[in-house]
Amino acid sequence: MLRLLKIDLIKLTNYRAFNVLNILYAVLIVSIPITVIEFLKWLKVKGAEFDGFDPMKIPVLHFTDIWQNVTYVYTFLKIFLAIVIIISVSNEFSYKTVRQNIIDGFSRVDFLKSKLATILLLSIGSTVLVFFTCLVTGLIYTPDLDFGDVFTGSEFVFAYFLDLLAYLIFAFFLTVLFKRSALTVFMLLLYRPIEGTIIGLLPDSIDFIGDYLPMQAFSALIEVPFPRYWFQEIQDYVAFDAVAVVILYIVLFVAAIHYKLKNSDL
Amino acid sequence: MESVLSIKNLTKRYGRLTAVNNLSLEVSKGQVFGILGPNGSGKTTTLGILLDVINKTSGEFSWFGEPASKEMRKKIGAILETPIFYPYLSAAKNLEIVAEIKGAPKSNIEPALKKVELLDRKDDKFRTYSLGMKQRLSIASALLCDPEVMILDEPTNGLDPQGIAEIRELIKQIANEGKTIILASHLLDEVQKVCTHFCVLKKGNLIHVGSVDEVSKGASSVELMADDENIKEVLSGYDKTLKVEKEGNRYIVNLEDGVTASDLNAFLFSKGISVSHLVTQRKSLEKQFLELLAVSDNA
Repeated sequence: MLRLLKIDLIKLTNYRAFNVLNILYAVLIVSIPITVIEFLKWLKVKGAEFDGFDPMKIPVLHFTDIWQNVTYVYTFLKIFLAIVIIISVSNEFSYKTVRQNIIDGFSRVDFLKSKLATILLLSIGSTVLVFFTCLVTGLIYTPDLDFGDVFTGSEFVFAYFLDLLAYLIFAFFLTVLFKRSALTVFMLLLYRPIEGTIIGLLPDSIDFIGDYLPMQAFSALIEVPFPRYWFQEIQDYVAFDAVAVVILYIVLFVAAIHYKLKNSDL
Repeated sequence: MESVLSIKNLTKRYGRLTAVNNLSLEVSKGQVFGILGPNGSGKTTTLGILLDVINKTSGEFSWFGEPASKEMRKKIGAILETPIFYPYLSAAKNLEIVAEIKGAPKSNIEPALKKVELLDRKDDKFRTYSLGMKQRLSIASALLCDPEVMILDEPTNGLDPQGIAEIRELIKQIANEGKTIILASHLLDEVQKVCTHFCVLKKGNLIHVGSVDEVSKGASSVELMADDENIKEVLSGYDKTLKVEKEGNRYIVNLEDGVTASDLNAFLFSKGISVSHLVTQRKSLEKQFLELLAVSDNA
């Protein structure tokens, strides 16, 4: 598996779009908490009156809220990494290099594994970055730090990892299906509204199915955290069944990619 | 002879179209085996199946007596159609990928590049290469694992005459090292110049297999020119002449087996005729090929 990862990395690390998109993504991850803080500071400086309330005291970036708040926002950035994966896979089809790889001695499964290895590496790398960004931000901005609370809620980082991994594998699947990068990115972006429409059209008697469609199932990993600031009840934990459904989807997508690769003439 | 490749009843259908029909072939070690056929006759499809990029509909094949596997492909150096590499990577990086896939040592990269005379361009991106350089790089890539068998599909396609000569030299050189080469081409001249054996495919059917030497054996014909009014009668009068034809101001004389141009020359000289032009025409693969295709059309 490491050999396969190495081969895929030779292909990618010398590819400019790959490096640019990854760096862009990393910059976004790190800059979002800073931007939020700067915004809150700006509100304060501008003397915004919240009935004498200091905006810096909203615990958006404080332990333990930070884990869910920040990872929730980060799930909107995954499209960047999805584009990286789409380019990486669609290049292999448009340059026909997947064909040459197999002629040279890859099996179709080797090809699948080498791309999955890169997806796994990107997901893990991104998760580690998210973890440290949250940790450092929380340590800086949490008033009255209680070290016992620091890692409470950090399971959302795991949820973030799973969400990203599943989404990237979904992007891989779409690319194997559509082959061309622009078309695949378009279909990926279009898929969410399509799923929304399907959910809207489901009759009431079976509308629970809507919760199990892929995008809906992925987003159930990290529920929207912000209503808690206007005193509504939210789900502030990672649900076990959401994890199980997403893992099932990962297995399904990998099986579908395998089936498609195995049965096509390259 | 040790069998390198054995194909039995291989068939590939695309819907109603049969691209390869019940093909059976044997290639032995050390042969330079040409696969001839017009465009669309199933050459590339056949090679694609042998290299596992195209799924067969039915039939069997084996490399070195064993069923196909990725380990087998690692011992084969193959180029199908156009050279395929990552355009944004340098030649050296591209070959590094191939070496990693084949499990060949990286130290093979430089000698392979040197052999095809691309060493001084090794750090340039593949997309900056000319077509001839791209073809040479794909040969370098096929040589990386020191392969037992090389598969070349139209290796001189789109090259200028000098490029064609270079690739041909390279193929001969590789063949001299005792490697088995399978070469698909629609250029008959190319097959005749480098191959020891050949087969002819037409619309997915095998219509001929044999050795290249056999083609040029048999009755020969002689082309000649002479300034003599009675030349045609004299030629027809030679008892070993089968047929005389006039082509422009030249005569084509078909002779009996084993009779050579010098026999004919001696005969003419004895009749007091000296020729100004005398050439033995070898029966070419092209003729044989066209004959084979014509026969199969009538069948």
